[in-house]
Amino acid sequence: MSDKEGILVVAEPKDGKLANVTLESITRARALTGAVGGPVSVVVMGADTAPFVAQAGRYGAERVYTADSPELAVFRPGPFVDTVAAAIAAADPAVVLCSGSPDGRDVAAGIAARLGLGLLVDITAIEAQSGAVTVTHPCFGGSLIVEKQATTIPLIATVRSNSFAREEAAVEPQVVALSVEFSADSLLAKVLAVACENAGIVSLEEASIIVAGGRGVGSAENFALIQALADELGAAVVADELGAAVAASRAVVDAGWKSHPYQVGQTGKTVSPGLYIACGISGAIQHRAGMQTSDCIVAINKDPDAPIFSCADFGVVGDLLQVVPALTEQIRKRKAAS
Amino acid sequence: MNIAVCVKQVTDTEATAKLEPSSWRLDRSVTCILNPYDEYAVEEALRIKEAHGGEVTVVCMGPENATDAVRKALAMGADSAVLVSDPALAGSDAQATAYVLAEALKTFSWDLVLFGLRSTDGETGCVPGAVAEKLGVPLLSALSKVDIQGTTLTVHRETDEGYVAYECPAPAVLSVIKGINEPRYPSMKGIMSAKKKPLDIKDVGALGLDTTQVGLESAKTRVLSARSPEPRKAGVKVEDDGSGAEKIADFLTGAKLV
Repeated sequence: MSDKEGILVVAEPKDGKLANVTLESITRARALTGAVGGPVSVVVMGADTAPFVAQAGRYGAERVYTADSPELAVFRPGPFVDTVAAAIAAADPAVVLCSGSPDGRDVAAGIAARLGLGLLVDITAIEAQSGAVTVTHPCFGGSLIVEKQATTIPLIATVRSNSFAREEAAVEPQVVALSVEFSADSLLAKVLAVACENAGIVSLEEASIIVAGGRGVGSAENFALIQALADELGAAVVADELGAAVAASRAVVDAGWKSHPYQVGQTGKTVSPGLYIACGISGAIQHRAGMQTSDCIVAINKDPDAPIFSCADFGVVGDLLQVVPALTEQIRKRKAAS
Repeated sequence: MNIAVCVKQVTDTEATAKLEPSSWRLDRSVTCILNPYDEYAVEEALRIKEAHGGEVTVVCMGPENATDAVRKALAMGADSAVLVSDPALAGSDAQATAYVLAEALKTFSWDLVLFGLRSTDGETGCVPGAVAEKLGVPLLSALSKVDIQGTTLTVHRETDEGYVAYECPAPAVLSVIKGINEPRYPSMKGIMSAKKKPLDIKDVGALGLDTTQVGLESAKTRVLSARSPEPRKAGVKVEDDGSGAEKIADFLTGAKLV
């Protein structure tokens, strides 16, 4: 047995707050302390981490390691890996949880290689029994569900968004300021500019509702119908801080109607929202690979034999150009009536 | 500018993946292809070579039949290839793979190492970052644009909001996303000439690898079980007779989703 105890969550900032996946990881970590020990710690990095500290405490982080530096204002693997390595040295945890985002994966990969840790990627579940930690990882496009363990303590894992619940449990965290010396090599890559043409967009991975359009949408212009439904559904769940996002199938991206960041599927994003509405998407295996772990799937397609119906909880065989605007109107009416 | 492109052979995305129950290793008897993301990395390397000169070397770890994937990269236009193949490597996890690739990359000189964003089988997306760490050079991942001036790279990294532009000196490790370019199809001439291009197959001994760092036994992660997910059951399907939208709204309300 190792004397390493507790869980360190590597925080991911998103629009000046902690990303939902970080809050989900903190929430899950609280339930694991019985088996792997405490505390639940969080390392927050940025130009000004004060807002992150408060938020981490609200979700139950007993200890928060802070690293405030202009070098950490925008993500770069070098200084972020240096900082997380310092936090691991300070916290001496049994488990390290990162976000499953591209940033989180870069950090986890660098840390695992530097410290020789077992690396478990894109986990959707984590259980612990008397110190043995087992994670679940859907792979091969979701066609296999694999249970894994690491042979090292600590282990490091990246967490898929929307895998765990997010619950507040406010504590007053102990705050520990890390002093990190960045190596010259870590700072070789310099940030030139940050372009935010889609500022305020709901990230696909974090969205609780996704409205996705496929070839059946017919044109780039018709995506306005998909967007309108997403806007209406997003407004309907305003109580939740998450919104609704628009996504696209590979056919749509290949046709140039939407850009690659919108693509869901094997060569796009893997998403797991509470509700996925597939409009005019046939549902090829490569598309289903990116969305079949959604809690609820609704499909609208002209073709009654489209494979998407085989995984849809509710399907309508019909013309999405009629059904989608009518659904937007239905949601609007019901919201007004409630 | 000399470029190394790391590629992987993966099971066809149309095929159903299976693990061998005894070892939880991938059953590779199914159809295999060049990892789709890697085509973008090969294409980007070829474009850099065409603009700036240099050599493109393909680096791959895999079973012997991974030569098929390697030959495809050669047929697209890469100059030569190194395939690290040895039964002792079977069962290596992402970290062991990164160790092997990093050691292979230490055997020749390059200015850039290119990767596809991730493989479509293991889907870790963590090998580029681990290789960069092992080589001690900067990592820039998920790139939608790579420009080169002399030995300075200017790159765009895709984010949800847009992109972040970075500047970085070579040498560096880069991973690229789908959409950074449109990969070329190998021409008949390319396919023919690929058969004559140098393809160096190295085993563990030839690379001087530490066998305690590779293979199933040494992996720092262990598969306990693998199963197919419960197939999702098809739910209700109705024909739209004009009330389809209303029925969806009823369903969503009933499921408390709105």
